[in-house]
Amino acid sequence: MITLGIDLGTQRIKTLVLKDGTIASKAQAFAGFDPAKAAKQTVNDALNTAGLTLPDINHITATGAAMDLAPHANSTISMMGADAKAGVFLIPQARTIIDIGAEEARAVKCDERGLMMEFVVNERCAAGAGAFIEAMARALEMKLEDMGPLSLQAERASSINASCVIFGESDVVSLIHRQESKPEIARAVFDAMADRVCSMVHRLGVNPEVVLVGGVAKDPGFVASLNRKLGLQVQIPPYPDYAGALGAALTAAMRAKGAAK
Amino acid sequence: MSKNQTVEQRYLPEIQRKEIDELKTTVKGASQKIIADNIARMKKADSHRPDTMKYFDDIANLFGRRQQEIEAEKQKGKKIIGYLCLFAPTELISAADAIPVRVNSGWYDTSKLGDRVVPVEVCPVIRSTIGAKMIELSPFLEQSDALISVLTCDGMTKLSEILSDQKTIWGMNVPRVKDSTQSLRFWSAEIKHMKTQIETFTGNKITRNSLKEAITTSHRATKAFRRLQELRKGNPVIMGQDAMLVNQAYSWDDKKRWTEKTEALCNELEKRVQQKDWVCSPDTPRVMLTGTPMFWPDSWKLPALVEEGNPKGIIVADEQCSGERILNDPIGVDEWSMDDMLNAISERYLMASTCPCFTSKDGNEDRINWLLNKVKEWNIQGVIYYVLRGCMLYAMEYNRVKKALDKINVPVYYLDTEYTREDVGQLKTRVEAFMELLNARIDF
Repeated sequence: MITLGIDLGTQRIKTLVLKDGTIASKAQAFAGFDPAKAAKQTVNDALNTAGLTLPDINHITATGAAMDLAPHANSTISMMGADAKAGVFLIPQARTIIDIGAEEARAVKCDERGLMMEFVVNERCAAGAGAFIEAMARALEMKLEDMGPLSLQAERASSINASCVIFGESDVVSLIHRQESKPEIARAVFDAMADRVCSMVHRLGVNPEVVLVGGVAKDPGFVASLNRKLGLQVQIPPYPDYAGALGAALTAAMRAKGAAK
Repeated sequence: MSKNQTVEQRYLPEIQRKEIDELKTTVKGASQKIIADNIARMKKADSHRPDTMKYFDDIANLFGRRQQEIEAEKQKGKKIIGYLCLFAPTELISAADAIPVRVNSGWYDTSKLGDRVVPVEVCPVIRSTIGAKMIELSPFLEQSDALISVLTCDGMTKLSEILSDQKTIWGMNVPRVKDSTQSLRFWSAEIKHMKTQIETFTGNKITRNSLKEAITTSHRATKAFRRLQELRKGNPVIMGQDAMLVNQAYSWDDKKRWTEKTEALCNELEKRVQQKDWVCSPDTPRVMLTGTPMFWPDSWKLPALVEEGNPKGIIVADEQCSGERILNDPIGVDEWSMDDMLNAISERYLMASTCPCFTSKDGNEDRINWLLNKVKEWNIQGVIYYVLRGCMLYAMEYNRVKKALDKINVPVYYLDTEYTREDVGQLKTRVEAFMELLNARIDF
């Protein structure tokens, strides 16, 4: 059984090929102005890497904000549904999945079958999501990927109010004017974001194991802040940014099996 | 309107006549398009919509037939009394030979105008109603000779002050704790005072006979409404968005004609039940809406998303003051004496309300009981808890409701939104994920 999952996120598009329950290949690209075209590219790349062609695929499932634009898709699944499937597949004890992408943060409660039971999504402002870190990195004149490691060097915690990206930025500027050090400001950014994610997760109830996926899971600065705020160690699977695509591919496998019966 | 120029505007900004006219033309054009689009979508959602819905589509045109009818009555000397909240005792208005009409704004575009007067954090229903008044958009609000406002929440309280710049407003003071004898006594006094005010204003005495007639008219409407709700208990024969429109149209339609048409609709639907002619597959998830009111036309955004989604749900019940709460409870009269009727009206409007403005030692227990009862009788599989940002009372009551629904294992989703069309994409994602969750529960 070979299936394919496409996750059309707000910033990046991820595609993953699943062959008999193992990951055969994956590819990603910037969504840009033409997400459908970018998605097609990732599908081609993933198929090439796996040495497959489109007719070899039993079922394609799309997910993500732009899932209606997915090329070749046989079906769709919500991002929350995909998170639950992927989370439990990767870490069988997972019961809470936190997914933080560029523009959205979500938390999903699921059961042992990877079925979502309940979910919450951040409010409309992106202050709890990846775009917030990007904006703050710009304000600090540093590369996004340097910000996490730098924040770990902070000796104490400052605080900013992350109710909104724009106000967050002006808070960062105030810290700059107070001549706080860069590591401390970087940590303040992650702490503020983790605070928002933490209260969102608490609305749902924290059921261990807690798994963190999405592009932001690759940022050590954010992970350290989130662990501190939640008072536990979140589990991070390999390639956390492909969780949505994996969940979609797993759903595709289920649906293909269902259709074959 | 010329007398307005002489009144000091304590809240509303002075706007040039030219700007008012331009804004009104633009917003009215947009609104007529939204109304037409909504109806087109509702027709698409149900390819063989009941014939009687044509009547309600007609009444749904806020700038059409009903506006003209009210205008004609006004020309004959009838008074129009608008109201901003469901606590307003409409039977007293009808009994004084005046026309009651609800005037809360469901227009998204005017909320931006309201931002000139109050901060954006204020509930959008309030901001939008202020905006509608600023550009004289709402036919029914403009036609109203006086308004009844009930001081339930902070928004309503200050809205009355703001509108008093341009309208005669009667504020009714509602007690926040229902289950005490002094509360009912106080509220009864408010009702009796309102009777006198309406009589003086209209110059018409409310008699035992005219009040009995008004209450009887309400009883018949409640009966028709309950018949429609009964039909929504079984396999789906009517789309939720259609039933919600029927329900809400009562607040501006002629009461007797509304009742006749609703009965006619029920006749049609009963035939469909016999023919097992369902409006969608009987295993479509059955959804109930609760929370902030949804006013026609713009707030049909959410019901449309639920019933057009992939996967979709069917709305079979609600607990909203823009919906079922309008007609759910009859006025319980024993003796038909003036005193008895007034007491019955007081009790009906206070005790039957599940508004989150109430509290007691058990919290807002009546609302919880309504929801639990609905879930059981209408076989609800999921609840959408709808909150307009700025509506503190509904937002703050969520956890209580969630815990009660958790106990009976019914999923509830907290969906917050604004008076905006820009968030439809995000709402769609959330609503569809919730429907997916409900479907998965049904499958297992």
